[in-house]
Amino acid sequence: MEYVSPEGLRLDGRRPMEMRQIRAEIGAVSKADGSAIFEMGNTKVIAAVYGPREVQNKSQQINSHALVRCEYSMANFSTGDRMRKSKGDRRSTEISLVIRQTMEACIMTHLLPRSQIDIYVQVLQADGGTRSACINAATLALADAGIPMRDLVTSCSAGYLNSTPLLDLNYVEDSAGGPDVTLGILPKLDKVTLLQMDSKLPIDILENVMQLAIEGCKAIANYIREILLENTKQLEYRRGV
Amino acid sequence: MEYSSDGRIKRGNHAAKMYIIIIIKCLKTLAFTGMVGLSLGERHFIQGGIAQDLRSDGRKRLTYRPLSVETGVIPQVNGSARVRIGATDVIASVKAELGKPSLLQPDKGKVSLYMDCSSTADPAFEGRGGEELAAELSNALQNCLLGGKSGAGAGIDLSSLIVVEGKICWNLYIDGLVVSSDGNLLDALGAAIKAALSNTGIPRVQVAAGTLNDEHPEVDVCDDEFLQFDTSGVPVIVTLTKVGRHYIVDATSEEESQMSSAVSISFNRQGHICGITKRGGVGLDPSILLDMISVAKHVSEQVLNKLDSEIASAEAEEES
Repeated sequence: MEYVSPEGLRLDGRRPMEMRQIRAEIGAVSKADGSAIFEMGNTKVIAAVYGPREVQNKSQQINSHALVRCEYSMANFSTGDRMRKSKGDRRSTEISLVIRQTMEACIMTHLLPRSQIDIYVQVLQADGGTRSACINAATLALADAGIPMRDLVTSCSAGYLNSTPLLDLNYVEDSAGGPDVTLGILPKLDKVTLLQMDSKLPIDILENVMQLAIEGCKAIANYIREILLENTKQLEYRRGV
Repeated sequence: MEYSSDGRIKRGNHAAKMYIIIIIKCLKTLAFTGMVGLSLGERHFIQGGIAQDLRSDGRKRLTYRPLSVETGVIPQVNGSARVRIGATDVIASVKAELGKPSLLQPDKGKVSLYMDCSSTADPAFEGRGGEELAAELSNALQNCLLGGKSGAGAGIDLSSLIVVEGKICWNLYIDGLVVSSDGNLLDALGAAIKAALSNTGIPRVQVAAGTLNDEHPEVDVCDDEFLQFDTSGVPVIVTLTKVGRHYIVDATSEEESQMSSAVSISFNRQGHICGITKRGGVGLDPSILLDMISVAKHVSEQVLNKLDSEIASAEAEEES
């Protein structure tokens, strides 16, 4: 199948190096300590953060730093054909773990000893790149909760189809069988915290694809920073400062 | 109470000691049973406010929080809606799939309800924690919206889902998701389902000529022509929560933690009761129950009007 037309357009009309439209909103769940909605095209996720708070299960308490937990779940209506999935299947457990490890790497856990931070991500619409969208939403929610972080982790995926590196794959491109590189970076520190790839890819092309994903992550980081700044301005305005 | 010089209660003053122990025991059990950690003072404040008809958020006993409806929030399903009542936020979606009607009711389609409590709403819903509440909500909604087992008294006309009698029908899957929870989930989900159903478009189906009498008739699903549901018969649910000697509508989660029992009653446009569910362990006097029903009927009229106008404006906004 042709994923990039001779004119250089993808199935949804994007250029190879173009990202889907992103939209973020802070404060979707009023009861949570921090929450955010993040949309990448038709992918839409909600993240909610509870904590830092007292450790619920005392046996899990860590005396030197905070305990970070994460749960990923998909709504029944999130995918095209409706299916009933129980929580805790292998895929969601794996994604929960990936998100937890990525977020743990950026949270300054040593500042919050003997406490617990819960991150819950809920997928409302899945159209490829849920992993990346979840990480971006979680970053925003953590920032909203006021949890100290080294940097704002952002994530983006890139692939390689029809001998063209493609940024931010949607579901159709994702299931095409080509390589899918999901990357998470700390944009200010310029460090990679998450890198996952399936399928095979020559090393020199991987370099290009990775570079493209890094560009994507940085663009998202800029957007997230803007949203946070806007939110802080709003809060400031409401306080009457 | 008498205290010795070192501050401890004097030996022999047995009654005082027992009293303190009982208080500590009470506090411990309350700490475990209450969903929301409330102090004694806060609990008195909430109960006192309800008794004086001025609740902690300034509402009267029979006033709802502001309700807002957004339709068409999920693009990949046939109909969807998001309803917010105060800090409670729920999403309902309707998906229609072609299937075979059951042998017992060849002239009726099937409607299934599945509710889900997202852990974003409450950390207690993590893992399998939300399943119990989800099952309770699904059951209550089933009672209130879908009528009896035979499908009689359902808010949705099940025979309108039939394509070829006994062979092909539409199966409706209604999924609810609790995104944020601040009490009164049942009313919010009921409203969201009503809004999602009015947002639903079922594709027009054409049965290929000549195959009507076959075992598996060939059908052609139109992608551009949609049939709307008649949702005027879908009831609204009003939950009355009893706190102390009084009952309130639209309780927040703090108020729900103080409830002795709650009665959810669904009413349709004609003012007929479509279903009743009672929750909570404490018994109710039958006369109070009847009183509650008449109050709920009065409230339901206001809610129906409010909901209908919200749905209409949400639909208008979506089209524009």
